[in-house]
Amino acid sequence: MSRREGSLDPQADSSISPLPHLEAKIRQTHSLARLLTKYAEQLLQEYVQHQGDPFGLPGFSPPRLPVAGLSAPAPGHAGLPAPERLRLDAAALSALQPLLDVVRRHQAELNPRAPRLLRRLEDAARQARALGAAVEAVLAALGAETRGPPAEPAAAAAAAAVAAATAATDAGVFPAKVLGLRVCGLYREWVSRTEGDLGQLVPGGPA
Amino acid sequence: MPAGRPGPAAQSARRPPPLLPLLLLCVLGAPRAGSGAHTAVISPQDPTLLIGSSLQATCSVHGDPPGATAEGLYWTLNGRRLAPELSRVLNASTLALALANLNGSRQQSGDNLVCHARDGSILAGSCLYVGLPPEKPFNISCWSKNMKDLTCRWTPGAHGETFLHTNYSLKYKLRWYGQDNTCEEYHTVGPHSCHIPKDLALFTPYEIWVEATNRLGSARSDVLTLDILDVVTTDPPPDVHVSRVGGLEDQLSVRWVSPPALKDFLFQAKYQIRYRVEDSVDWKVVDDVSNQTSCRLAGLKPGTVYFVQVRCNPFGIYGSKKAGIWSEWSHPTAASTPRSERPGPGGGACEPRGGEPSSGPVRRELKQFLGWLKKHAYCSNLSFRLYDQWRAWMQKTHKTRNQHRTRGSCPRADGARREVLPDKL
Repeated sequence: MSRREGSLDPQADSSISPLPHLEAKIRQTHSLARLLTKYAEQLLQEYVQHQGDPFGLPGFSPPRLPVAGLSAPAPGHAGLPAPERLRLDAAALSALQPLLDVVRRHQAELNPRAPRLLRRLEDAARQARALGAAVEAVLAALGAETRGPPAEPAAAAAAAAVAAATAATDAGVFPAKVLGLRVCGLYREWVSRTEGDLGQLVPGGPA
Repeated sequence: MPAGRPGPAAQSARRPPPLLPLLLLCVLGAPRAGSGAHTAVISPQDPTLLIGSSLQATCSVHGDPPGATAEGLYWTLNGRRLAPELSRVLNASTLALALANLNGSRQQSGDNLVCHARDGSILAGSCLYVGLPPEKPFNISCWSKNMKDLTCRWTPGAHGETFLHTNYSLKYKLRWYGQDNTCEEYHTVGPHSCHIPKDLALFTPYEIWVEATNRLGSARSDVLTLDILDVVTTDPPPDVHVSRVGGLEDQLSVRWVSPPALKDFLFQAKYQIRYRVEDSVDWKVVDDVSNQTSCRLAGLKPGTVYFVQVRCNPFGIYGSKKAGIWSEWSHPTAASTPRSERPGPGGGACEPRGGEPSSGPVRRELKQFLGWLKKHAYCSNLSFRLYDQWRAWMQKTHKTRNQHRTRGSCPRADGARREVLPDKL
């Protein structure tokens, strides 16, 4: 893998997949991320609509509190090497799936007559997992280690995140609404970030 | 626990993330040690209230360093700032709110009551549920499609507007024995409906009712008792065909097939036909079609497109005494009557195809006449078919009948007398 950020050098590592296949995989995953960015935006809009004002009002700014096991892309994210960025993208997407499930369960109680919102949340959980897996496949094709956590600690971390989110919402409906807003916002940020990171790897894309 | 616990963006990828303790999310209302920020707790948390009732709420501020003050706090409800006169400072750290005559909740997820700091930041929130308990659901109706299932529909009490999410549950049980069962497939034919797909008994009555529940209470409908055999419906009659009757300008022939699904269930069927002119929304219904699978519409307008539909009622299934449920109407089938210069009469009843008895007065009298002729005259070949042929001949040859609608004879242009056949017998 080239040390230049955002570029590929298939000659540098003989274990890298043939270039056309790798390019195709990157383009495909980038297209997926671009599509999911649009869906994530729609999900956010649908979500705030069903929580009622002030959630949809301009200037609404609940505390941007960290969600268990997940935070927004750091300011220095763009300066990291490409494999590192993709690893963080994959880890975030993996962490988002159970949190989106928690939000969907809450919304099924709060907004049972909002089938479109519930369907979007369900789809978002699946799409986060799918995009995360696709990014990991790109990493594998690049010859970079995914270096994700071992299966057991990762599963335990996900369970703890879910328990934390569930416990948090036991504190009341308003915190549950805020949590959902935060998770949907993080989903949009990370999918958009993944699209940007993959876009830099697409041949002919921005360096 | 420090605020802003790092997520994957800042974690080193070489070290697996530690197990996460509970409550990593800073819940609004929970104090955070060492954070240097204030939070608050609203009481009551997520109350449920009747429309028109009052609410007394408090916002108690916690903070680090201690000594957080209620000075400058204010309330919003669904994003709108509440008038200052509705609030009062109870003590140094608590702001109270009094709301009276509450309206129904604006959204089912609850009205958002929020306590703000002086700078507008959100300290705490609570969701209000203001509404009405459900009223008794009523007007339950059920039908079984081909005796394989049961679908029920009902009307919610008070038109369903309780301002709170109200759950409707359709329950059923065998009248004489068995336990309560709950229907699981909802909204199959509208928002207040449920479908029971299988495991239904015949020849024994069921009791069916609907329970409505929300945060403020519950209500139960009256019990409907029925036997599946008495509420059977079918698919509409298939293969409906509409065609002209030769050159007859005022008639169309309608044919269909009886629903195949019930052919083994010893049922009789009665049918209804309805038809309308292409540009009209008014349907005319022909009721007395009995169990035949064809019919002739008469008295139609010439040169006009008609839409026709047929439906079926499978009564007497397995000897049941009750009529079934009318099926849906078949898909509309269209046909046009032949054109004619002579304006046709208005709508009419369904008439039988050639040779079949009719309920129309003219044709009834004609039938009697033909029967008399066969007995008393040498007219053994007379029949309705001959009568129809005569009518077709009349329409082709007498183009000026409307100008000479008088009984008796009228002179021909060459002076010879010629009988003018009357319009009616």
